[in-house]
Amino acid sequence: MKNQDTGNDKVRPPVNWDSYLKSYYEKPSSGRTWSGFEVKEAYSSRDLKDSNLESRLGTPGNYPFTRGIHKDMFRGRYWTRREVIGMGSPADTNERVKYLTDHGGTGLNTIADITYEMGLDADHPWAVNEVGLTGVNISHIKDMEALTKDIPLDKVSWSLITASTVASVTMAQYVAVAQNRGYDIAQLRGSIQNDPVHFRYCGFRPACPLDLSIRLGCDVMEYCTKHMPKWYYTTVNMYDLREQGITAPQEVAFGFGIAKIYIDELIRRGLSIDEFAPRFTFYVSCHIDLFEEVAKIRAARRIWARMLKEHYGAKNERSMQFRFAVHTAGCSLVPQQPLNNIVRISYQALAAVLAGVQSLHCCSYDEPICLPTEKGHLQALRTQQILAYETGVCNVADPLGGSYYVESLTDRIEEEALKIMGQIEDIGGMTEAIRTQWLDRVFEKEALQRQNELDEREKLLIGVNIFTTEPEKETPLGVQRIPSASAKHQIEETRNLKGTREAEKLKDRIKKLREDAEQGQNVIPAMIEATKAFATTGELMGIVREAMGYPYDPMEALTNPFV
Amino acid sequence: MAKIPENELARQVMKGDRGAGARLITLLEEGNESAREVMKSLYPHTGKSMIVGITGGTGTGKSTLIDLLIHDFRQSGKRVGVVVVDPSSPFSGGAFLGDRLRMQRHACDEGVFIRSMASRGYLGGLARTTAETIRVMEAMGADVVLLETIGSGQDEVEVIRVAQTCILVIAPNMGDDIQALKAGLMEIGHIYVINKSDLEGSIQALREVEAVLSMKTYPDKAWKPRVLSTVATEGKGIRELVSAIQEHNVFINQGARADRFRFERVEYELSLVFKNELERLVHEGLKGTGKKKKYIRKICDGQSDPYTIIAEVLKNFLKKGSFDPEK
Amino acid sequence: MKSDKKIKVIISKVGLDGHDRGAKVIASLLKEAGMEVVYLGMYQMPEHIIQAAIDEDADVIGVSYLSGEHLTFTQKITEEMQKKGLEHVLFIAGGVIPPEDIPTLKDMGVAEVFMAGTLTQPIVDYIQQQARK
Repeated sequence: MKNQDTGNDKVRPPVNWDSYLKSYYEKPSSGRTWSGFEVKEAYSSRDLKDSNLESRLGTPGNYPFTRGIHKDMFRGRYWTRREVIGMGSPADTNERVKYLTDHGGTGLNTIADITYEMGLDADHPWAVNEVGLTGVNISHIKDMEALTKDIPLDKVSWSLITASTVASVTMAQYVAVAQNRGYDIAQLRGSIQNDPVHFRYCGFRPACPLDLSIRLGCDVMEYCTKHMPKWYYTTVNMYDLREQGITAPQEVAFGFGIAKIYIDELIRRGLSIDEFAPRFTFYVSCHIDLFEEVAKIRAARRIWARMLKEHYGAKNERSMQFRFAVHTAGCSLVPQQPLNNIVRISYQALAAVLAGVQSLHCCSYDEPICLPTEKGHLQALRTQQILAYETGVCNVADPLGGSYYVESLTDRIEEEALKIMGQIEDIGGMTEAIRTQWLDRVFEKEALQRQNELDEREKLLIGVNIFTTEPEKETPLGVQRIPSASAKHQIEETRNLKGTREAEKLKDRIKKLREDAEQGQNVIPAMIEATKAFATTGELMGIVREAMGYPYDPMEALTNPFV
Repeated sequence: MAKIPENELARQVMKGDRGAGARLITLLEEGNESAREVMKSLYPHTGKSMIVGITGGTGTGKSTLIDLLIHDFRQSGKRVGVVVVDPSSPFSGGAFLGDRLRMQRHACDEGVFIRSMASRGYLGGLARTTAETIRVMEAMGADVVLLETIGSGQDEVEVIRVAQTCILVIAPNMGDDIQALKAGLMEIGHIYVINKSDLEGSIQALREVEAVLSMKTYPDKAWKPRVLSTVATEGKGIRELVSAIQEHNVFINQGARADRFRFERVEYELSLVFKNELERLVHEGLKGTGKKKKYIRKICDGQSDPYTIIAEVLKNFLKKGSFDPEK
Repeated sequence: MKSDKKIKVIISKVGLDGHDRGAKVIASLLKEAGMEVVYLGMYQMPEHIIQAAIDEDADVIGVSYLSGEHLTFTQKITEEMQKKGLEHVLFIAGGVIPPEDIPTLKDMGVAEVFMAGTLTQPIVDYIQQQARK
């Protein structure tokens, strides 16, 4: 039937003008931040904790670094535009790395897939269905060579995202390739996520038993401290914890709790706090409540500075600086009306910059749908570039500093985070909280709470419980597919390598690794040498696992081939 | 799914067909009439398995222990049935059945049959149909049936009616004040297991249990409860636990004891079946008459009481064979 | 005594995928809607899930996919379901699934797909209406 007025075929249902009128007079339904802090309609100087704000804040670049770790922040140097990249084979990932670098990415950043994080070679029976679907698997030195092909390791800053105990292997593989290419590893710049303790909450418990996590995590940290002074050896991952659905103060408290586990172990091993703390970094979420996220990060800076100075006795100012990268919050994005995600990501990136981030990854808008397409990935990079080059927000350090609201919120988040850290100490420390599953129960409770809030419309999400439309039938910029040929090729290559490498040399190197592992030595040097002899990821992890009393294979499908 | 005739279902169950066994258990849970007919055929083929009950508070590691027991029994070639009971929500009537998760590695072993059950409001640590479910598994050919009760550590004593060997699992510092454990629970264990014994407080827990047990007197030929330590997550202490179970099994099967257990088990099941049947008959009899509501209204209005109503209903049934006084 | 029929649901992850926040939440919510939920957790292969569905006489199998593995594993799961005579069981999938793949999944035998961000009630309603009880 034709529409009389427009002449086309669209007959629209009548507009609900009563509903329109209600919307016209509508106001926010909740006077709370995302994490639940009640906020007033307006703030003034009377809301600040005391009149001594100046000394509590410090200035940018000075203790307690509330306002930023550099005095000139981005006027001295932009944050690193570092998009996470990982897909298909090492060659596929290498391709996308170069693509984004061409378009202005300033930091390289590659992420492991779930098979690699579990410590499985591409040809492992549990890996064959999933290689390359969520990142890249590096089964042996040739894979690492392919990943880094034609990239000058002495010129770039490379962030390797392996979080699990397998980070030890990743570090060994990267160093092995670098050394083979003649680089001086003391000059290499970059980071490795290396936070196996948190990773048990991302589903990798078979790969990350607590004692193995602390041991291998600290082996990497110790090795880098001694041999790679320009390398950041950990990026303690509060972001993944936040993705469980917890609040901003919980994110800070739990992240710092895990950091303490590593710090305490490194000190137990005989390193002094100032020897290693300057290279200790964090991975932080930026969620959708802009001011809360900025306040959260400012609070984190102040807590960290105090903790390092007062609790650990650090003397070097660099030890007290909370150095962090941001990953915009994946859990805040939804597949309904997906282009809206670009807007969400933009606000979150803005929060990161206003908070003084060192390195930023913006999600691609298709995060809740698939791995980033080329276009989606580029869009994420452009989001950062618009912030950096057009908006002017990076011209001033801590531009929100002094805002009555933001200072008040910073204080409140600091107070709450410290309270939670106290609760954890009361139950015996973070290790106890992990062992007794106290933390698991918090995550389960919060996740359920977040879902209830959505179901009850206490939190509104456009496209989900407000302004919904018919479900999409297609994704605006297409869907990223991983060519099955990539996985097949990688699996075959791995099998071939195992069949053609020199057995004697390998046996020797494996023997050395086993001895070091059993005697409590730092295993990284032996892993590097074994990698050069073509030992695979599964083999390196298996040897160390057995030495610590665990089954060779986390999935218990394979046994040690070297006995 | 097409309805299987009763004798065919019985035949499949006795062949050990898990789909058939599973279907029958559901029918029993639903109170389906045809299930009774099937049970009549199966019953003579039951009563010969070793039934082990495992009880204890939440978080003590019962499921992990069972996973290891299954493994051990399978190594010696025994066919294992497992019933795991979890509480139903009193509000929604739903249930979260999360014990099977810890035993899932045995799912594809054709010699293992694991079934989760919700209590559906039944008290005592079991579900109404747990006893019948154990019979089904016996009919399917299980040599051993392991039964995990709901674990709140308080009143789960019903397990003693259906399991010859009862294991009580305790973990240190889980809020278990052993002295404060209700008397009933501390009476029923043949074997006491201090699990998670790598944690602090386990030696103390062991001593406390031994102390409580030492205050009891045992007649000469009675079973003296064993107290063991395990670390289920590391497989420590399992061989000792299995030995203890086997020892108790030998003990309980000696002469008069075996008879007595058999007698009491049947007595319990008879009582259960009788109660179920009576309830069902009353319900069927009054279905659709609106009488039940009327009776309840009468009582609420103060015009009668439950005892009078029931006496009336029963008198009528005995006289006229119907629960409806108007028939 | 009334006939006591409850909808029995298996909730599982498949393969190595370790994102279980959604699976745990949906298991809790289905329990609050009166269903009996057997939660299998992580590292299940299709055979394990199917055998659990047989042993538990399940009415519904729900799998949560968050690592791009939905096409590979759905194929295996639905094939196994057919082999073992589980056509009466409702198979629903959720998580990170592109809308473009939904028709393919349904052709394989998935009854319905609920993408990340779905509210609880539509899922509960769907199961209550479609499960064989």
